[in-house]
Amino acid sequence: MLDAFFDAARAEAPLPDGDFMARLTADALAEMPVAGVRVRGRTGLWEQLVPALGGWAGLSGLVAACAVGLWVGVNPPASLGLDDWWNGTGAELGELGVDPLSGFELALMEG
Amino acid sequence: MPYDAMSDQTDEDLLAAYARGDASAARALTQRLAPRVLAHAYRMLRGDRAEAEDVTQEALLRLWRAAPDWRPGEAKVTTWLYRVTANLCIDRMRKGRRQGPDLDAVPEVADDAPSAVETMQQAARAEALQAALDTLPERQRQAVVLRHIEGLSNPEIARIMDIGARAVESLTARGKRALEAILSGRRAELGYEGDD
Repeated sequence: MLDAFFDAARAEAPLPDGDFMARLTADALAEMPVAGVRVRGRTGLWEQLVPALGGWAGLSGLVAACAVGLWVGVNPPASLGLDDWWNGTGAELGELGVDPLSGFELALMEG
Repeated sequence: MPYDAMSDQTDEDLLAAYARGDASAARALTQRLAPRVLAHAYRMLRGDRAEAEDVTQEALLRLWRAAPDWRPGEAKVTTWLYRVTANLCIDRMRKGRRQGPDLDAVPEVADDAPSAVETMQQAARAEALQAALDTLPERQRQAVVLRHIEGLSNPEIARIMDIGARAVESLTARGKRALEAILSGRRAELGYEGDD
């Protein structure tokens, strides 16, 4: 019995009139993205970070510098004499050519 | 397949074309989708055409705004649109605290000769069904309308309503039982006397 009612409901479905369709079409055209303009999409943190660091070239330089820094820290070259320095047997600052009390500071102390 | 100027293209293809700025896709999609959205909103909103038009306009606006971020293959346009439409209708009904109409207030079918005219009888049946649908809880009404009037499959209705397929079956079965109970009392006046 219900099927006849459902058939009737389908046959009697409300149809949008011309004015309403024109209004809907105007809405659609007003909201339509402009052709050729890049639509604002979702950009992740990585996509924002790469240009901020100078693109891929800048990023590769940064990675190389970090790697060298890490390597120097892990396995320092003997010429730096860091082992002696840590052990207290290395050259004092003065011997390394670094004056711990500069002329400027001496002048200040002596008035 | 919908019959329109671009009937060889799916809704999803047209929406992608729309997002690229294709005006003909905008027109074809509006022609294709507006009648379905309007009809669904009308049935959900108890036959209130003005409200149904407002909901249709709002639902389509949301579709246009979602178009640039639409992910192909993620959802069917119609599934998404039925869901948005139903949610807008339910929001309106709850805000307006619209109560179901009194069945006694449903327009009576005229008893005299013109009621025998087939077209009038059909309109009367559609009107009686709408009045009976209006008495159902929102979710039952939505499921019955989608299944038996819009003709969607249970899995698609499940996606629209965000429930399982068995829950859809349960909702439609209960809805149909309620409709039969309401409409069986009006069979004679609606021209079902003597036939089944």
